[in-house]
Amino acid sequence: MAGIWVLAETEERMLELLSLGRDLSAKLGGKVYALTWGEEKDAQKYIECGADEVLLMSLPDGGTLTAYVPVIVEEARKLDPDVVLVGATARGKELAARLASALQTGLVSECNNFELREDGKTLEMQRVIYGGAAVQTVCCLTRPQMATVPPRCFAKALPEPGRKGEIRFLPSPPPCPVRIRESKPRTGQETNIEEARVVICVGRGLEKQEDLELVKELAGVVGGEIACTRPLAEELKWLPEETYIGLSGKKIKPDLYIGIGVSGQVQHTTGIRDAKIILAINKDENAPIFDMADLGVVGDLYQVVPELTKQLREALKR
Amino acid sequence: MPDIIVCYKWVIDSADIKVAPGSGELILDRVGYRISEYDRNAIEEAVRLQEKYGGTVTAVTVGGPAAKKSLKDVLARGPEKACFIWDPAFEDLEPSQTAAILASAISSRLKYDLIICGEGSGDLYAQQVGPRLAENLGIPSAAFVNRLSIEDGQVIAERKVEEGIEVLTMPLPALVTVLPEINTPRVPGLKDTLAAAKKPVIEIKGLELGQFSPRLQTLKVVGAKMSRQSQKFGAEPTEIKRLVDVLVREGVIA
Repeated sequence: MAGIWVLAETEERMLELLSLGRDLSAKLGGKVYALTWGEEKDAQKYIECGADEVLLMSLPDGGTLTAYVPVIVEEARKLDPDVVLVGATARGKELAARLASALQTGLVSECNNFELREDGKTLEMQRVIYGGAAVQTVCCLTRPQMATVPPRCFAKALPEPGRKGEIRFLPSPPPCPVRIRESKPRTGQETNIEEARVVICVGRGLEKQEDLELVKELAGVVGGEIACTRPLAEELKWLPEETYIGLSGKKIKPDLYIGIGVSGQVQHTTGIRDAKIILAINKDENAPIFDMADLGVVGDLYQVVPELTKQLREALKR
Repeated sequence: MPDIIVCYKWVIDSADIKVAPGSGELILDRVGYRISEYDRNAIEEAVRLQEKYGGTVTAVTVGGPAAKKSLKDVLARGPEKACFIWDPAFEDLEPSQTAAILASAISSRLKYDLIICGEGSGDLYAQQVGPRLAENLGIPSAAFVNRLSIEDGQVIAERKVEEGIEVLTMPLPALVTVLPEINTPRVPGLKDTLAAAKKPVIEIKGLELGQFSPRLQTLKVVGAKMSRQSQKFGAEPTEIKRLVDVLVREGVIA
């Protein structure tokens, strides 16, 4: 039993992986190792949240995570982990793929469910394929069994004050030809569609940017955040990139999703699968969104949205 | 004058997939195939870089015999030659196999300074083949790039990460995976399609490259289920009233 490794670049992702890692270690046996970049105080926190051992790396200015592939490989050869889970951030996904190649093992990308087979050691992992149209169950035939885990799939581990564990520092990596020349933080308004209880999503059915006002009014009444489909953010640039929902964008879990003029391509709807109630407003009664909506209004959004806003305002007395 | 390789995959058009009611099995008998949409951006980017810096563009794909149909399409999009690596056993590869086959073919047969891949494939979307290929070839990589240039033998790649944009530099040879927003692929015209028929294709049979065992096993694939209430409403005020009542009753609006 050589343990479960969890590797993440940020605290949030690490805490999610630690809760998954603890859960798997209860079934598989073995210690939970947390690999991350940071300082001793971060490591202390991860120990309280379930890590038995923290392997710390430090990121020099201008250095990239992938520089650490040889260091992590070296450590994996020594410790021989059973499972390696990596937080599926952009850098994490690249690192995981390079690491899996270097370790000559299989990697299951963006798994959202892990089950242990009766043999007590093989993980059966699930992920979506075909743009969200299907779910694939996969297992890894080689060791370590590797997977990346999407953000917010698992609850964050909670601290157990006084929990003990070890902290070790991994060696510095060999020189890496990839350098970060500049980092530009995201500008523009922070939106919070992943946490919102109500998300109002606009699609191609909206004719012009000014018409967003209609949607904003509705959002104001129900206290919702505004989101959109990919083309509105990337082609038309009517809304910030952080607000598009879908396979390569945000995945949301609100109580209520309202799709306005959204046709319902699978690449989009895969991001709203976990909404409690899906309400769709579209003038095309054959739009695919209606197949997955709880509530569907077949009608012109320019007529329906103002009426809905008015009636909700009355019902909610706002 | 960089020699550029662009990798692409011939995939099922996800929009054609139907799910059998009850069993949830996928019905794939009437599906069409296409060049994976993310790879179209990779192809376009390779051709744009060639227009800017000169050099060559070779399009490479790995697949079963049926992927041969992709060659005319890819060559019409601008690359001057294509390399088709195929075997009946290459029908359903997992990412580590695809990357290993590409690495074997590229290192033994093709010259390159820069390799461009799409961020992921339209079918599996594992987003592994690019970085794995770079690791197998022992070259640096930058994934999720939305702006790309070459200056003095260095690749300048702007890529999207959670906190914003990161500008990376790395020496050639190197590999990048590109995001769809990096460009808008041109639509091939009749002239391009005619020219494509005359462009050279290098065929490599899988057997010539060796054995590539899978490291993942697919146990099951089922249609994604959505069980939803499916209540329909009209657009008239009385219908909207009925809708508002349901929303209030469901307790989803505060």
